[in-house]
Amino acid sequence: MTAVTDLPTQNSAQLTAGAKAALITVIVGAVCLVLEGIAPWLVKWPTAWELPATQWVGAFLGWFLNLIKPAMRLFSDLMTYPMDWANYVLGNTPWPILIGIVTALGWYLGGLPMAALGFLGLSFVLASGYWAESMNTLALVAVSVPVALIMGGGIGILANEVPKVKSLVQAVLDVMQTVPTFAYLTPLLLLFGFGPVVGLIASAIYAAPPMARNVMLGLERVEPEIKEAAIMSGGTRFQQLFQVEIPAATTQIMVGVNQCLMAALSMVIIAAVIGGFNDIGWEVLLTMRKAQFGESLMAGLVIVVFAVVIDRMSGTLATERKRYDSRVVWAMLGFAVLFTLAFRNWLPNPSELTLLDPMAEAVDSGLTAFTQANGPWLDAFKNNSLFYVLLPLRIGLDQAVLPFTWGFQWTSTMSAGLFAAGAAIALLMAWRGRLTGGLIVLILIGMLETGIANLPWPFVLTSVAALSWVAGGWRLAALCVGLLCTILVSGLWERALLSLYLSGAAVFSCAVLGGLIGLASAVWEPVWKVVRPICDMLQTIPLFVFLIPVLMVFQIGEFSAFLAICAYAIVPMIRYTRHGLVNTPEEMMEAAISSGATEWQIMRDVRAPYAAPTILLGLNQTILYAFAMLVIAALIGTTGLGQSIYLALGQADVGLGISAGAAMAVLALIADRIVQGFAEERRAALGL
Amino acid sequence: MPAIACRNLWQVFGPGADKALTDALSRSGNDADKAATDLRENGFIPAVQDANFEVKEGELFVIMGLSGSGKSTLIRCISQLLPGTGGEIRVDDQNVIGASKKVMTDLRRKKLGMVFQHFGLFPHMTVAENVAYPLRVQGVSKRERLDRAQEVISLVGLDGREDSFPRQLSGGQRQRVGIARSLAVNPDIWFLDEPFSALDPLIRRQLQDEFLRIQATLKKSIVFITHDIQEALKLADRIAIMRDGKIVQIGTPTDIVLRPVDDYVREFSKDVAKGQHAKVASVMRSEADCGPDDPGLTTSMTLDAALAHCMELYEPVPVRDADGNVVGTVHPSDLAAALQVDES
Repeated sequence: MTAVTDLPTQNSAQLTAGAKAALITVIVGAVCLVLEGIAPWLVKWPTAWELPATQWVGAFLGWFLNLIKPAMRLFSDLMTYPMDWANYVLGNTPWPILIGIVTALGWYLGGLPMAALGFLGLSFVLASGYWAESMNTLALVAVSVPVALIMGGGIGILANEVPKVKSLVQAVLDVMQTVPTFAYLTPLLLLFGFGPVVGLIASAIYAAPPMARNVMLGLERVEPEIKEAAIMSGGTRFQQLFQVEIPAATTQIMVGVNQCLMAALSMVIIAAVIGGFNDIGWEVLLTMRKAQFGESLMAGLVIVVFAVVIDRMSGTLATERKRYDSRVVWAMLGFAVLFTLAFRNWLPNPSELTLLDPMAEAVDSGLTAFTQANGPWLDAFKNNSLFYVLLPLRIGLDQAVLPFTWGFQWTSTMSAGLFAAGAAIALLMAWRGRLTGGLIVLILIGMLETGIANLPWPFVLTSVAALSWVAGGWRLAALCVGLLCTILVSGLWERALLSLYLSGAAVFSCAVLGGLIGLASAVWEPVWKVVRPICDMLQTIPLFVFLIPVLMVFQIGEFSAFLAICAYAIVPMIRYTRHGLVNTPEEMMEAAISSGATEWQIMRDVRAPYAAPTILLGLNQTILYAFAMLVIAALIGTTGLGQSIYLALGQADVGLGISAGAAMAVLALIADRIVQGFAEERRAALGL
Repeated sequence: MPAIACRNLWQVFGPGADKALTDALSRSGNDADKAATDLRENGFIPAVQDANFEVKEGELFVIMGLSGSGKSTLIRCISQLLPGTGGEIRVDDQNVIGASKKVMTDLRRKKLGMVFQHFGLFPHMTVAENVAYPLRVQGVSKRERLDRAQEVISLVGLDGREDSFPRQLSGGQRQRVGIARSLAVNPDIWFLDEPFSALDPLIRRQLQDEFLRIQATLKKSIVFITHDIQEALKLADRIAIMRDGKIVQIGTPTDIVLRPVDDYVREFSKDVAKGQHAKVASVMRSEADCGPDDPGLTTSMTLDAALAHCMELYEPVPVRDADGNVVGTVHPSDLAAALQVDES
C-alpha cells in the first residue's frame, strides 16, 4: 500500500490529502442534505434499481450444490464412521478412566498445574450433570480436528512449495476469516442435511485456516541458513521439508494446532443452532430459550472449562517444555483403571448427577433477586444508553429526539443550530490551522443529525472512497467503492447500514474503553495483573457463551447484543494498546528521560507515537472481532445482516445466507484494509 | 585443473533478470561496467558483476568485502543456492549453472561442504544428529553415520557434547558443530560464509587457529568469505576483494598490503600492521654489495621479524633463500619505510 505522505504539505495554500478528502465528503454530504426533500432517491436507493442478486446467488449456488451433492453425501457418509466410533468410545468409557487420561495427559504436557487443571475441570463437568452432552461435543471435536489439521497442514505445505498457489491461498484465507461463521452453515445444511455431520464439517472448514496460516508462517520463518544447510547437506526437497523445515517450524505449527482446536470447539458449539445433536451447545441454546439462566450459565461454564483445558494444554505444545516423569503418567492411568474396576458397580451415572443443580437454582433465584432489586437502575442504564447513545446513532437526532425519549421534540431550528455550532467549531479549528480536524467534526455532526442507518448512499460511498484514498491510494479506494456498490445494488444496503451502525458503535466504545484500559495497564503494572487473566479468559471463551450473562441481566434486545459484542471485541484493543506502549525501545525511553522529559511528556511525545501502528492493528482486530460477534449476537436480537444470515439458516435460503454473509465480509474487508492502510502509513512514517 | 573456476559470472536480481542481463550486455558491447550501470538504471540489482577467478586445488581462497558488496551472493552462486544469471561456474570440472537437481544433489552429497555465518544448525537435532545429517540423507546406516559423526566431532574438539542440543551450546561451540557437519561427508570443496563473524574476538582467534590446524591436515579447496581484512590476511593463500558486486583485486596477502590496485583497497590495508604480513622478499634488492653484518635474514621472513634482527644496523644486509644461498640484500631503512602506515 502506498502511503499518501508524499503529498506536499509545506505549501500552506495547498490542501493536504486528508483535508481534500474531508472537504469533498462535506460537500457531498451537504448536497445530499439539501436535496433530500426533492430527490428522495439520493437518500434511499430505490427498490426499482436493485438487482435480484440474492436470488441469482441462490439459484447459482443451488445448482452448484446439487452438482457436488453426491460426492459430498458420500463424504458425509464416510465421516459418520469415525464419528460413530468417537461417540461410542467417549460415550462408553467409564468416566473415572477419562478423567484419569486427561489428568495424566495434563501431567505429561505441563506437570502438576496442568494435571490439576485437567482433573478439576473434568470433575466440574462430571458434577454438572452434562457429562453425556459434553462427550458428544468432544466426539465432534475429536473427529473434526484431525480433518482440519490434515487439510490445513496440507494447504499450508502446498502454499509453501508452490509460490503461485501461495497468494491465492492467502487471499482465500483472508476472505474466510471475514466471512461470518453462520454463513458457512446454510450451504452446508443444503449439502449434508440436518445432523451432526454439518457441525463436524463446518468446524473442520472453520478450523483449517488457522492451521494453514501457521504452517505457512512457520515454514516461512525457518532461518534461511537452516534451509540452506539442508540443501547443502544434499537432501532432496522431500527430505529438506520433512526432516528439517517442518521440525524446525514446530513451535509455530503447534500454535496452529492450538488455534485449530479452539476454532473447532467454538464452531462445534455454534453449529448447535442447527440442532439434531444432543451436545452441550444445544443445551445452552435450549436453556437460554426457556430462560433457565442458571442452567444455561452452568452449561456455558462447562463449555468454558473445556475451552480452558484444551487451550492451556495444547498451548504448552507451543512452548519449550520440560519432560515430566512418565512413571507418574502410568501411575495415574493405573489408578483410574483400578478405581473403575473396584467401584464399577457403584459408579453413578454421570447424567443423573445433580451436585451442581442447587448452584444453578441459586444462580437463578439470585439473579431474579438481583434484577428485581436493581431493576430500576439496570433499566435506567439500558434505556439511557439506548435513548441517548444508540438510538441517535442509528436513526439520527432528528428522529430519535422525541418527547417520549428526550422529553422534547427535535425541530428544524435545532438542526440548524447544531449545524451552525458545528460550522463554528470547524471554522475555529481551520483558523487554528487544523482544517482536516474541523471538517471531520462537521462530518461527524452531520452523521449524528442524520443517523447511520439513514445516511444517503452517495455520502457513504464518498466518505469511504475518501477515507480509503487517504489510507491507501487510488487502488484501495476503487476496491472499496466497487465492493460497496455490490451491496448497494443487491438490496442489502439498509441491512448493511444497520450492521455498520451496531458494529461501529461497539467498535467505538471498545476503542475508547479498551484504549484507556490498555493505557492504564501499560503505565501501572497492578492493573495489568488484574486485566490480563480477564483478557485471557475472554479470548478463550467460545463466542456463544458471551450471550448468556448479558441475556441474564438485560434480556433479549439490541442493547444486550451491543454489550456482548463489546465484551468480545474489546480484548484486542486492550492487548495491542498495552503491547504498543510497553514495547517502546529502551534506548528511546532513555533518550527521552535524559532530555528531561516528564512521565506524561514521554507518554505523549515518545511512547504514544511509537505505539500508534500497533494500536491501529489492535483497532483492526477489534473491528474483525466485532463483525464476527455481530452474527452470533443475532441470536439475541439484532437487526441487519446478522439477522438475515440467521433467518436464512432457518429457512435454508442459501442465496440470502451467502449474500448477507458476503456483504458482511465486504464491510469487514473494507474496514480491515482502511485501518491496515493507516497502520502501514504510520509504520512507514516511523521507518519500521 | 582448478577446483573451482568462475568465468564472467553474473547474479542479477529482479523480475526477468536473465533477459535483462543478455540485453544489457549486448547493448554495452560486453562491457561489464556499462552493463551493470544499465541494469541498475532499469531497477535491477547486479549483486555479482562479471566475476572471474579460479580456486586451485588445496588453496585457501578468501573473498573479502564490506556488507552489500556481493560476497555472500557470490558464494551462494558457486554453491548453487542461487541459480546464477549468466556466465560459467565449474566446480570439480562440471558446469553447475543450469545443472539438474540430481547432479547438484549428488555433488553436494559427495564433494561440497558449507559453513554458515549464523551456524544454520537444526534446532530439533542433537549435535551428533546435526553432524550426521548429511550422511542420513544419503541413506547411510545409523551406526555408520554416528561413528563418522563422532570422528569429526573429535576433530573439532567437541567430545562429550554429542547429545546436547544447539540451544545448549555457546556460539563458538555451535560453529564447531557447523564445521563438523560440513566435514561429515569429507568433501573436497569447502565453503565458509563468514564463519567466525558472529563470534567474540577471543573465540574468533581461537577458531581461526584451529581452522588453520584442520586445514593443514585436510588440505581442502576452500572458498572463505569474510569482511575482516585481518582475518583474510591471516588465513588466505589468495584474496579477492569485492566492491559493489565487482572483484577489484585478486592477490596474495602481500600483494594486497603492498600493492593495492586502487584507493579502495588501500583504504582497507591502511590500518593493517604490514610487518606481520609482508615478506622480506617484497623489499629485497638484487644488488650484491652489503655491509659487514649478517643478521641471517631469509626471503620468507615477515618484515617485523626482519626488522627485529637488524635494529642496530645501518648498512645493507644479505638475504638468503630457503637453501641458505644469498639471493639479494635489504637495507634496514627500507624495512622501516615499508612499515610506515600510508598517510595518503
